[in-house]
Amino acid sequence: MAEVHDTMVRIEGLGKSFGALEVLRDIDVEVKRGEVVVLIGASGSGKTTLLRCVNCLEVPTRGRIWVDGEPMGIFDQGGTFRLLPERALSSRRAQIGMVFQRFNLFSHMTALRNVTLAPVMVKKMSEAEAEELGDRLLAKVGLSDKRHAYPSRLSGGQQQRVAIARALAMNPKLMLFDEPTSSLDPELVGEVLDTMKQLADEGMTMVVVTHEMSFAREVGDRILFLHQGRILEQGSPEEVFARPREERTRAFLSRVK
Amino acid sequence: MSSTFHFGIVWEYLGYLLAGVKITVLVTTAALLFGAVVGLFVALGRMSKRRWLQWPAIAYVEIFRNTPALIQLMWAYYCLPILAGINLSAIVAATLALAVNGGAYIAEIIRGGIQAVDRGQVEAAKTLGFTHVQTLRKIVLPQAFRKMIPPFVNEMVSLLKFSSLVSVLGVADLTYQAQVVSTTTFRPIEIFTFIAVVYFVLCTALSYVARRLEIRLSVSD
Repeated sequence: MAEVHDTMVRIEGLGKSFGALEVLRDIDVEVKRGEVVVLIGASGSGKTTLLRCVNCLEVPTRGRIWVDGEPMGIFDQGGTFRLLPERALSSRRAQIGMVFQRFNLFSHMTALRNVTLAPVMVKKMSEAEAEELGDRLLAKVGLSDKRHAYPSRLSGGQQQRVAIARALAMNPKLMLFDEPTSSLDPELVGEVLDTMKQLADEGMTMVVVTHEMSFAREVGDRILFLHQGRILEQGSPEEVFARPREERTRAFLSRVK
Repeated sequence: MSSTFHFGIVWEYLGYLLAGVKITVLVTTAALLFGAVVGLFVALGRMSKRRWLQWPAIAYVEIFRNTPALIQLMWAYYCLPILAGINLSAIVAATLALAVNGGAYIAEIIRGGIQAVDRGQVEAAKTLGFTHVQTLRKIVLPQAFRKMIPPFVNEMVSLLKFSSLVSVLGVADLTYQAQVVSTTTFRPIEIFTFIAVVYFVLCTALSYVARRLEIRLSVSD
């Protein structure tokens, strides 16, 4: 059971359609343990949908996904993807942290409670133990003094750091970031990126959707460029940013620079 | 024409009137509690993905919101016993009718509150491994509850006022007692002014308590 896989995420033949609209097609991705993979591409290219398929917030139409060797869905013979039963899905998701563009902190709870709730509810951790963990994680993201503050009293950057601490409280194997700095004021972007960089340095496996090209270049191990629902190009930051092979990639990069 | 008012008359018949207040409060409270339970189930039915739950819930809400409460009261008292073959006392029929009427509005209040909770909150809970029930209990309902307080208080106040309709069925509520006292004393001005004040005080007190509650709960926003 305690078999260690080198591959943290494996995606095969993933497709996603909303009605007649095909958002993702023929996606194959492998993310190694400890790797930081950055998804880039124009809006509408499917990068957020791809990220959300990993933990089934978006249910794939077809294909197969494994996280740490465990299937994230029921894979039919015909290739159709079906959701796992609720309990199984919840316990898979509990091991995958996610950080959202709009933070999504629980607005009726303090920063500390936001962090401790899931360990208590899902992992059945004792309140005292969870509080200790919460304090440690809030300290890690530099917000010890805000433990009793409600989200509405925090800046966007602070909220996002609490959201990261909340995800870390479940001790995830994998962290998904969905444009974590896109709704922040420019002067607050740095503090969130620093926290993410720290996580990457500690060896966390991360899949990041972002428009912050300098972050992608500096922290990313591998860049995937998505265009019209396909992975058009991938490689090290060096390869993709300095020597893009595809015309579309060049065009995109020249626009965001 | 003499226009001296004898508000002392109110004092003389205070016992009767207070007995009416008791019935009014009783009928309103029972109708609210029952209506809240009905409303919760109807709201859940309406939000369900299953057609056979959704459809009756919609029909219920539309029927009771779009017919006069007075007719519903009369129907419950005069028609229901004949059709269903059961005998209901006036007070039970009246409370029942008020409850199902209130339930239709409360269902919409509950549905509105739940749907006003940001979807991102639910998604965040899912990604932390919460089950559907845990998400509902810890995240959605506490937030929805806050959003429901103001419209729910409106509904309480409006049910309290609508409860005066039960006097039509001979239920001895505040309004009924006032009519009795007024016809025996020939002092309608004093009596009806007084009970208007009583209704006003009851309704205002309700709103006041609710506002305090709302302030206490809103520390987080």
